[in-house]
Amino acid sequence: MSDDTNTTDAGDSTDADTDASAPDEYATAPRAPEELTPDSPFTLPGFFDALADGRLLAAACDDCGTRLVPPRPACYDCGGRDLRIERQPETGEVVSYTEVRTPPPALADRAPYTIAIVELDSGARLTGRLTASYDDTEIGLPVELSVRELDADEREMALTYEREWPIHEFDPA
Amino acid sequence: MTDPHVAAVGASPLGRTDLTGRDLFSVAVTEAFEGLPDPADIVDAIYVGNQSESYEHQIMYGTLLAEWAGLRHVPAERVEGCAAAGALALRHAVEDVRSGRRDAVLACGVEKMTAGGTAGATDALSAAFDRVTEQRSGVTAPSQYALLAQRYLHETDATERDLAHIAVKNHENAAANPRAMFRRETDVESVLDSDYVAPPLKLFDCAPVTDGAAVVLVASEDVTASLPVDDSVRVTGVGAGANNLAVADRNLTFVEGAHEVATQAYDEAGIDAADVDVAEVHDAFTVCEALLAEAAGLAPRGTGYESALAPDERSSGWTDVHLNTSGGLKARGHPVGATGIVQAVEAYEQLTASATPDRQVDDADTALLINEGGVADAVTVAHVLSAA
Repeated sequence: MSDDTNTTDAGDSTDADTDASAPDEYATAPRAPEELTPDSPFTLPGFFDALADGRLLAAACDDCGTRLVPPRPACYDCGGRDLRIERQPETGEVVSYTEVRTPPPALADRAPYTIAIVELDSGARLTGRLTASYDDTEIGLPVELSVRELDADEREMALTYEREWPIHEFDPA
Repeated sequence: MTDPHVAAVGASPLGRTDLTGRDLFSVAVTEAFEGLPDPADIVDAIYVGNQSESYEHQIMYGTLLAEWAGLRHVPAERVEGCAAAGALALRHAVEDVRSGRRDAVLACGVEKMTAGGTAGATDALSAAFDRVTEQRSGVTAPSQYALLAQRYLHETDATERDLAHIAVKNHENAAANPRAMFRRETDVESVLDSDYVAPPLKLFDCAPVTDGAAVVLVASEDVTASLPVDDSVRVTGVGAGANNLAVADRNLTFVEGAHEVATQAYDEAGIDAADVDVAEVHDAFTVCEALLAEAAGLAPRGTGYESALAPDERSSGWTDVHLNTSGGLKARGHPVGATGIVQAVEAYEQLTASATPDRQVDDADTALLINEGGVADAVTVAHVLSAA
């Protein structure tokens, strides 16, 4: 079964990531276990390394067009394993949103904050914090992806190996 | 193959208590085995639904509760699937008995949620969300469901007032249920006046943090017939399935996972949605009742929010099902890992006509249970139960 979540007909995402920092050997889904090193964007260390450089990567399914964020070895939508690493566009729009008024304990000083599900222009969707107030947000609001290092409260919430992983947010475009 | 029977049920009181998880189980299993032989004389295996070790710093709940029931050297497992853990445990028991591998299995659920206060529960529940995109962004259970609710209100004619009516209806049902946490009615204005937790959801749209445990004895027809019980119900259909962990990856207004598993369970039971008389669906937040009524084929798309209306006042295409006669998660209470078992207790009482008169549905023959874990259909389990 295949649905249209995380897909688009527009095909206006950036081409397969050809930056020197993302070697070709990692550009397609792993077919041998030794390919799954921390350098591969099909693992979380590799995904966050790219994100720290400002590149949000998805695995794009050759069979059904679904964009998988973060990349993983198989497509949940069609089951296929023919996947390519693809840099995602930084622009999109709000699909749904809310405001967290009772936050996780570590983020108590940050509340209230706005949370949104954003659909990027590639069709990929992901949840993130939105740097606009709840009242200034609406479904369809154009937004831009931004990436930054963790603030102190976010570092406190992070596990040791997550502390250098950047966090993504969305800003009104 | 004969259908497994639910031969006996028991539950602890639901709410805040000084009792710990194992004590709550003791209450539930004592009720279930009142007048029966010792569990050790009957039971071949035990499954325990339990969401999180962070409340009591205790895993190994399979072993622990086997011991507390007087069982040793039987298979015993904790089953994890956030709020679907209870129904996953029930499903394991049903499949074991169906296959003929076991004659009698205890399906249990337990959660001591109040141990860490609201902050502790918020943190423990957040572990059910995707770590990479969702947890790091600071989402919470109410905010996850608010994302669904916001989109549902956007796409349908539903309003916050409609959702408030669902809360009011479930409080009214809970007021008639001696097992319920909130045995008091409320009104639409009180719901609408309650504080936003994560807009458009308000405090009274949310199920409470609840301590509780529940037990059902699933047994073969032969074992059931040998027990001194007045009545039992049959489990005639089961469905279970996972969908994406991250909410953003799923259809936000059609709970595909629930649709799939309800359809599986109907097919196994040889029924249609229209045959369901009573349904306990996973109303962790009011909007869930609307979404699940639609996903389970009880309501046409975009009309599930009419669930609080009398059957003859709903849109054409609705079945005449009675939803969440127990008061639902909203008002009966939501001891996360035990909720799927508590739902089965309500089905047992409805189908054996042993519910209190104010909530008993006349001639209830078929019950549907839908239990969800994670947010919405990250994992979903459906059961169909039929009067014996």
